Amino acid sequence: MKLQLFMSFFFLSLLCKAQELYSVTEPASNMASRSIGFRIDNLIMNETNSSTINYHLIPEIMIGVSKKLMIHGNVFFSNRSKKFRGEGGSLYGKYRFLSNDALQKHFRMAVFGRISTNNSDIHQEEISMYGHNSGFEAGVIATQLLRKVALSSGLSFLKALDNGNDNKYLYGSKNSTAVNYNFSIGKLMLPKAYKDYRQTNINLMVEILAQVNVGSGKYYTDIAPSVQMIINSQSRVDIGYRKELSSTLLRTAPNGFFIRLEHNFFNAF
Amino acid sequence: MKSIFLFIAIALSVVTNAQVTKVSLQASGLTCSMCSNSINKALKTLDFVTSVDADIKTYTFEISFKPNTNVDFDKIRKKVENAGFTVCGFVATIYFNNVPVKNNQAVTIGVNDFLFVNTKDQLLNGAKLVKVLDKGYVSSKEYKKNAYSISLRTYHATI
Repeated sequence: MKLQLFMSFFFLSLLCKAQELYSVTEPASNMASRSIGFRIDNLIMNETNSSTINYHLIPEIMIGVSKKLMIHGNVFFSNRSKKFRGEGGSLYGKYRFLSNDALQKHFRMAVFGRISTNNSDIHQEEISMYGHNSGFEAGVIATQLLRKVALSSGLSFLKALDNGNDNKYLYGSKNSTAVNYNFSIGKLMLPKAYKDYRQTNINLMVEILAQVNVGSGKYYTDIAPSVQMIINSQSRVDIGYRKELSSTLLRTAPNGFFIRLEHNFFNAF
Repeated sequence: MKSIFLFIAIALSVVTNAQVTKVSLQASGLTCSMCSNSINKALKTLDFVTSVDADIKTYTFEISFKPNTNVDFDKIRKKVENAGFTVCGFVATIYFNNVPVKNNQAVTIGVNDFLFVNTKDQLLNGAKLVKVLDKGYVSSKEYKKNAYSISLRTYHATI
């Protein structure tokens, strides 16, 4: 199954040539040094076996510290506890250590880390540092840009800790570590030819997102297609849907829509 | 004593009789307009730059400068690199007024020295296109061919 997925992505990569500002994962490239971006993520997830919608709101600030280093800080809000409230936050850093540029293409690699804190109840075996678990994540990303297509793959290690408010990690310390991996592809659809910074860019993205629990061996594989608009070469709107393809992990709300709004300020400091 | 004055006069004339008026720079490693815009806006923050005209299609930036200012090529290159990209082509338009140029001999223009290579000995007059050949100013492929690097603020260049 995994080999098939990998092969189909490899084949896709030969067919089309992209854009790497993915909707769920990050590329190995960084934002420009001395720029600041503001992002609002909305996750509208359907709770399994109920008609409840889990809404997560994640405002984020992104700072290009240098050409190689960028940091993100964000806050997690959700209505999972029947009341819409703040549940925690995370700090994310990404360091680009390899960059091979050529005209209209590049190959880049980066390492990243995230520290998350969350005080909500632990309700699923899936480990997520993006609005569910306290803990940390560290990984590596490789991204290849080839004219209008960008391919990216990431591999990371996650460690869940007990959440705040005495919400213990329920599944045993043996099962509190996991490996995430992803294959992502993005393609620039419009404009066909650039004339002006005010032209809206439209990108199509497909991401395969997977997790394997190191202790239990349980896993999930999701697919997340999305459409992205880049407006005025400065703002961004992503709309997508995340769908579980297969899973042996207990998950409460794996499927749902996501909307990301982003605005960047260049030379902000 | 006379000859020393003459020497100083010649040296000064070389310095003052050439002025960098424009730079055409091509950036690599990008395809999207947001990336191009980040370079465009970064270049505009340089104090000796008056305008940047970006051709998004060819990833080329035409940079114009304030008259009688020192144009610092390294600062221009660093702006592109800090935006996350690489310079793969750098051609300066330099206005010469009776400047003799010899192959493999350095000439001072503004704050920089230029060592012209693969260039015929000639007297330069008017606007000429000067291509910088050093690491960080050409594509990595082109760099591997000649392997020029800036030393003691001297750029390798060709006309």
